[in-house]
Amino acid sequence: MSAFNEETVLSVHHWTDKLFTFTTTRDTSLRFSNGHFTMIGLRVNEKPLLRAYSIVSPNHEEHLEFLSIKVPDGPLTSRLQHMKVGDKIIVGRKPTGTLVIDYLLPGKRLYLLSTGTGLAPFMSIIRDPETYEQFEQIVLVHGVRQADELAYHDLVVEHLPQHEFLGDLISKQLLYYPTVTRESYRNMGRVTDLMESGKLFEDLKLPALDPASDRVMICGSPGMLKDLKHMLEHRGFKEGNTSKPGDFVIERAFAEQ
Amino acid sequence: MTHLVTDPCIKCKYTDCVDVCPVDCFREGPDFLVIDPDECIDCAVCIPECPVNAIYADADTPSEFASFPELNERLSRLWPAISRRVAPSPEAAQWKGKTGKLAGLDPALLAASP
Repeated sequence: MSAFNEETVLSVHHWTDKLFTFTTTRDTSLRFSNGHFTMIGLRVNEKPLLRAYSIVSPNHEEHLEFLSIKVPDGPLTSRLQHMKVGDKIIVGRKPTGTLVIDYLLPGKRLYLLSTGTGLAPFMSIIRDPETYEQFEQIVLVHGVRQADELAYHDLVVEHLPQHEFLGDLISKQLLYYPTVTRESYRNMGRVTDLMESGKLFEDLKLPALDPASDRVMICGSPGMLKDLKHMLEHRGFKEGNTSKPGDFVIERAFAEQ
Repeated sequence: MTHLVTDPCIKCKYTDCVDVCPVDCFREGPDFLVIDPDECIDCAVCIPECPVNAIYADADTPSEFASFPELNERLSRLWPAISRRVAPSPEAAQWKGKTGKLAGLDPALLAASP
């Protein structure tokens, strides 16, 4: 059995000149947990060129969705960004990863902290009904440089609260906190700084972070992972993984190319 | 950066790591597994899967396993890929937790080069 499926691109949407998203067909045998990543890519000179991508779509949907940056000289993204509907793409048959709610201890509030394309796995997690059963409140934080990089903003703010099955849960339990670092916006500053200063909690009218009740997932740039891990450990949070649940989990397989 | 398999895997070979690897970068030798450093994407998902804690990020490798980065790199060129979990070594239970197992292996096996 091959390690990969060949799928067909169903749609492509360019958010900005540096950021785009696309959907593909999904092999009926592909199973994954919400929050997982898998290897995707293209055949280049007959050889597969693959990178790790978090799956944006929840596992109950029939298609797959991915979010990608465009790097002008990136081996994969320089090609991927020119993809059109009907093109073929390779999708790994072994989705995996650490950003799964089962790898967190029971808690009251779930923080999903992301920067850039690190938002991707959380778009899957916030559309999983199980997330709303396990946690009373879900706080989705997305940090970007410019406001037009707030991918899925309208989906989260306008469409998901109207969703046929999830709308009620999302309206009552999901808080969304987009923040921008390089231009004027209603929330401004780095995710780490907004948490350290307490501004994020004041804005959302939430109590300070507490390992007794709060659980955290982190996905973003290596610098952001390092800073937030340090901050959480300093406050008494313990890292969890696939074999031992904890107070927070981190995804380390971040696609930068 | 890469990850690598170290001494605790020797004579145990539980292979739990193999099932979670998204890039199938494990290679199987007669007594233990190694990681192909050219394939590993540093996702670290395999580390907690190992029941004997044999896997490390290269930057975190304990000094007693200093010979393992080179062994992983060289032997991964010789040994076949393994992409699904198999039964552990028959004597895994009695070797689990023993240290310095590398010294008991056939030197010719360890000295092999592509």
